[in-house]
Amino acid sequence: MQNWINALSWLNVRFLLMGLWVTIYISVISVILSFILGSILGIIRYSKIKFVSKIVGFIIDIIRNVPLLLIIFFTYFGLPNFGLRPETIPAAIIAMTVFESTMIAEIVRSGIQSVDPGQMEGARSTGMSFVQALWHVVLPQAYKNMIPTIISQFVSLIKDTSLATIIVVPELMQHAQVIYGQNANYILPMFAALAVLYFIVCFTLSVIGNQIGKRLS
Amino acid sequence: MSMIEFHDVQKFYGHFHALHDINLKIDQGETVVLIGPSGSGKSTLVRTVNGLESIQKGQLIVNNHDLSDPKTDLNILRRDVGMVFQHFNLYKNKDVLENIMLAPRIVSHMPEKENKEQAMHLLEMVGLEKWAHNMPSQISGGQKQRVAIARTLAMRPKLILYDEPTSALDPEMIDDVLQVIKKVTTDSGMTSLIVTHEMGFAKEVANRVIFMDQGRIVEDDASESFFKRPKTERAQQFLSKIISH
Repeated sequence: MQNWINALSWLNVRFLLMGLWVTIYISVISVILSFILGSILGIIRYSKIKFVSKIVGFIIDIIRNVPLLLIIFFTYFGLPNFGLRPETIPAAIIAMTVFESTMIAEIVRSGIQSVDPGQMEGARSTGMSFVQALWHVVLPQAYKNMIPTIISQFVSLIKDTSLATIIVVPELMQHAQVIYGQNANYILPMFAALAVLYFIVCFTLSVIGNQIGKRLS
Repeated sequence: MSMIEFHDVQKFYGHFHALHDINLKIDQGETVVLIGPSGSGKSTLVRTVNGLESIQKGQLIVNNHDLSDPKTDLNILRRDVGMVFQHFNLYKNKDVLENIMLAPRIVSHMPEKENKEQAMHLLEMVGLEKWAHNMPSQISGGQKQRVAIARTLAMRPKLILYDEPTSALDPEMIDDVLQVIKKVTTDSGMTSLIVTHEMGFAKEVANRVIFMDQGRIVEDDASESFFKRPKTERAQQFLSKIISH
């Protein structure tokens, strides 16, 4: 019992919350960037520009089928070979964004494909361009259907940021490791604290997602 | 002045030869009805006219745009060529009024006030002004199709293509829609190409009937003489089956 009280001292909890802040910071930026990039890639995949769509599809397949951990390693230890030396936090954001964009791209593509093709034909038959028809008619319907899937993808993203501990990003997981690294008795209290903090963040996002989904349908 | 000209047009889906040697000329102001058994290529033919389906051989000219030329801008062609679909294809994310106003706003850049007045006027014409702010999911199939016709008219097209406009409707809804189509075709001097299975309606509105079978035009005649005395055996067979019940 004393171990738990010592482990969860204000000093330690504050240190954990600083880590949580970095986790949220990385997550929010990666969510925004991967939503934009993933949507663009998904639309390119859906479009009829065959050559570009094939190349993008090939790249997406490679990234989706490689462990995220490897991508994180690559951005931190690999990119310097190409003259880029990102700090740990930008490296984590780059890796998360690249990986999540490919996931979102496939969600967006299948979301667009699940909209009745008649919607696109109806819009195109009035003289709208492909992009106008997508923007005004098809995408609003597609995103409405996609919201639950996209939210759960973002929940995984938040949990996946813990992998960035491997390149010593000062995020939640890494800060917990620092604390229990000093005293092995703190391991269990730290695991419990991690579980609670990740749960609060992810569960809140899921609830918000469900609310949005309900309001739209 | 011809509105549509097909010269030896061929259409393939992979190895399937969907349209054979289509030669057809439709003049401005004509109302042409396209009939034939299902799978005969009627819908495919109509969908080539606004480029929803591509053609593989021959030449197709619509409203002076050459659809066999890959450089032709289909978006410009389609401003003047409306289409009414079997399944309506109203935008599910927009209400009735917005369905009608969207294309004039973003394609023809019509001023908002004029656009709204026109949309309300068109809704009155199809008898649905009370439904302006309902979503498509809240109205019946017959009402949806009337909105779809209003949406097409909002672009003030020179040619309207109707692809089985009543095939997906309950029997008691069909008449309302046919009345609207009749009004549109007779009032306006617009060119119309109509795929339909409604023979009574075809007789009433068409100047000219085209009968298709297995991807070919089998018969092309004035409406009156076609229904009185079809020339080919295949058309006689078809008509006797349809009219007998």
